[in-house]
Amino acid sequence: MENVCILGAGSTNYGKLNESIIEIALSASVDAIESAGISPSDIKAGYISNVFGVADKQVHIAPVIMSNLGISHVPGLTIESACGSGSVMFREAFANIRAGFYDCVLALGVEKITHTGTTQSTTLFSYCSDFFYEGGNGASFPGLFASIARAYMTKYKADEEDLAHVAVKNHENGLLNPKAHVRKKITVEDVLNSPVVASPLKLYDCCPFSDGASAVILCNENFAKKSGKPYIQVIGSGRGGSPAAVQGRTDISTIPGTVIAADQAYKMAGISAHDVDFAEVHDCFTIAEIIDVEDLGFFQKGKAAREIREGATSRKGKIPINPSGGLKSKGHPIGATGIGQIVEVFEQFSGQAGERTIKNAEIALTHNFGATGASAAVHIFKKVD
Amino acid sequence: MNNPNNIGVREKFIASAQNSKILARKCNDCNTLMLATILYCEKCHGKKFNLMEYPGRGSVNTFTIHTVPPEGFEDVDSYAWVIFTLDDILLRASGFLPDIKKPSDLPIGSRIEVERFDEKHGLVLKKL
Repeated sequence: MENVCILGAGSTNYGKLNESIIEIALSASVDAIESAGISPSDIKAGYISNVFGVADKQVHIAPVIMSNLGISHVPGLTIESACGSGSVMFREAFANIRAGFYDCVLALGVEKITHTGTTQSTTLFSYCSDFFYEGGNGASFPGLFASIARAYMTKYKADEEDLAHVAVKNHENGLLNPKAHVRKKITVEDVLNSPVVASPLKLYDCCPFSDGASAVILCNENFAKKSGKPYIQVIGSGRGGSPAAVQGRTDISTIPGTVIAADQAYKMAGISAHDVDFAEVHDCFTIAEIIDVEDLGFFQKGKAAREIREGATSRKGKIPINPSGGLKSKGHPIGATGIGQIVEVFEQFSGQAGERTIKNAEIALTHNFGATGASAAVHIFKKVD
Repeated sequence: MNNPNNIGVREKFIASAQNSKILARKCNDCNTLMLATILYCEKCHGKKFNLMEYPGRGSVNTFTIHTVPPEGFEDVDSYAWVIFTLDDILLRASGFLPDIKKPSDLPIGSRIEVERFDEKHGLVLKKL
């Protein structure tokens, strides 16, 4: 088995972008290639994650990217797993390097959706649910997470202010991220007074629809060492699944796929949750972050809301969560999000995170899932000095 | 040979819902109950079942009220999307419940029933 490293990373701004999906994707790819100090000819395969390419009149994206990078003979693969597409795709790239099939690959996530408008975007996203039971019965994505929120709040006596603290903290972090979609300081009162989208979730409990692309260069350790460039190591990788429809879960206040993926990743890395110095987690809605940090083992079930209120997940807290601003503030271009989280880890470990740098961090975790957690992935990274 | 119980199972589920019932499978080997659309036993992975209809009555586990509805639901003034547990059996289903305007209209545990399956709005529920 090969040790897997990340040699370079690049990202566009997240937000409403005017360029086409392919231009966005190529911009992040070129940034990652230049960051790694390699030539496109070093890339042996391309892994591309995307969900709604059809909305910008382009599916089968991988060979279009390879062609425009001047390496049309290099095999490309496009992967879709709803909002978890990036991390699910990263896992496949990781597995191919680890198994020795390739020594260097491109992992690129991209999404272009904002031009469709709120109603069409909401509808397209609802197709990521188990549509027969959920979207087809009127459940939007905010609605699905709102139902999860109500179940959690009922079980653990949490309230809407608990949810609001997640949004406030992530917006504070996002202010320090020049590529974040929503760079705006907000207060608990702002969240509580924002319009209801799907009760109990309000506008500021929800991440935005974003355009954007993020890319990383994965390689084996021999390739990384020969490059002479700084790199980080991928020391753990896990994948898990949950019943696609929320109704099928024994406990609606947990996401089984996250628990399975985290357990696998911790075992591969030979560490526990206590060894993680910071994490980028899937906060598509504020309730998701509360559930994530419990399912990942940072807090006991039912205890995260209080810990978050007391600052445990702030940048200087005992386990900083989403220093990038998370999906909530940095944005959520769904095909790119999982890779965007890994770009943040690379920037943190290579001295490029500026004011949002988590001091003395050596181990980081990323967590990303599709839909309401039906496809989950967890990865663990180690700084290499 | 294809199991005839697996062919058109969604249509059978819909037909049961038109009669205010939920169609489920009971595993012949371990008695686990699942919604009829799941084709292997979630517990023992067996594939021999009895298809059984259960009364579509139950209690609300959780719900939301949409202010921004997806396409196809803009014609409804205000509605809830509900997850509920069927009476007497440990099986959950979810559906569309019209005319719910505020959370206090639907306390957790409220009694509801499947009314019909609607081509436009899916599994339609009513409050009891």
